[in-house]
Amino acid sequence: MPVIVIASPKGGSGKSTTAVILGTELAFAGARVTLLDCDPNHSVTLWASRGVLPARMSVESDVTEGEVIRTIKRHDIDGAVVIVDLEGVASRLVSRAISQADLVLIPMRATTLDATIGARALQLVGEEEEALGRSIPCAVVFTMTRAIKSKQHSGIQASLSEQGLDVIEPPLMERAAFSALFEFGGDLRSIPAQGVMAGAVENAAAFAQQVYKRLIG
Amino acid sequence: MNEPKPFAINLGSLKTRPKDSSSQAVARTDQAGEAHGFVSREATPKRGGRKPTPRTKQIHAWVEPEIAQEIAQAADRTGKTQGELIAEAWRMFSRR
Repeated sequence: MPVIVIASPKGGSGKSTTAVILGTELAFAGARVTLLDCDPNHSVTLWASRGVLPARMSVESDVTEGEVIRTIKRHDIDGAVVIVDLEGVASRLVSRAISQADLVLIPMRATTLDATIGARALQLVGEEEEALGRSIPCAVVFTMTRAIKSKQHSGIQASLSEQGLDVIEPPLMERAAFSALFEFGGDLRSIPAQGVMAGAVENAAAFAQQVYKRLIG
Repeated sequence: MNEPKPFAINLGSLKTRPKDSSSQAVARTDQAGEAHGFVSREATPKRGGRKPTPRTKQIHAWVEPEIAQEIAQAADRTGKTQGELIAEAWRMFSRR
């Protein structure tokens, strides 16, 4: 079972939105998905409480520092995916979850502040690889991007690529449908139409497909 | 849902991979995290009662009011300080 850990010490970088979009799209594509809500803000739990959980999905809430490794192990079965949504702070819970990851996703808005703080998660992954003696694949996903890429976005992306970091294309764009998931629950196919739904679905599916490729690659 | 899937997942490709979760690995993980400021943020319950005062190192233990009164009366009766009485009681307790 691949374990995907979504981490960034920066609050508001789009971790929970990324977790829900990825989880619902992977479930729609046929995977069994468990979302572990380790964020004291309980965003994923809130999403789950708003509507009927999509098929093949389950959510576990209030996972603490002392339990996170055990909880991940408990869901460690073939044919399923575990997605860990973490709190937006630098904590031991984050470092322990990363230790069990098959892929670490670092969502960041295309701003210097997000990139600077997100870089701490990248450094931590490198440090843990060394400490545990295994490779922990890691990728950056830009969130809340606009249709026209800003100079700042292009600059940050170029800088990350120069450093050999994996940046997932497409990014997750700023879309009403993505934020509406937390209002209505469910997935992009079940919520009432918000803006251009076909574009949102296409964006989410293409992003999830790229993550899936990294899981099996 | 009859909508065609944008992509299909091969469940056979989603395999469990071994990851070290021994206490040594957790300790190494914690150490690596702490080096980058990823420290414990969870509140831990206070244990062990009040700390000794920094100046005199005296312990001002809280005891139930009736017991405090009995200790005070015993100190008056025996001409000892309350501290001496408590130290005596501790010696008896620790010799058990």
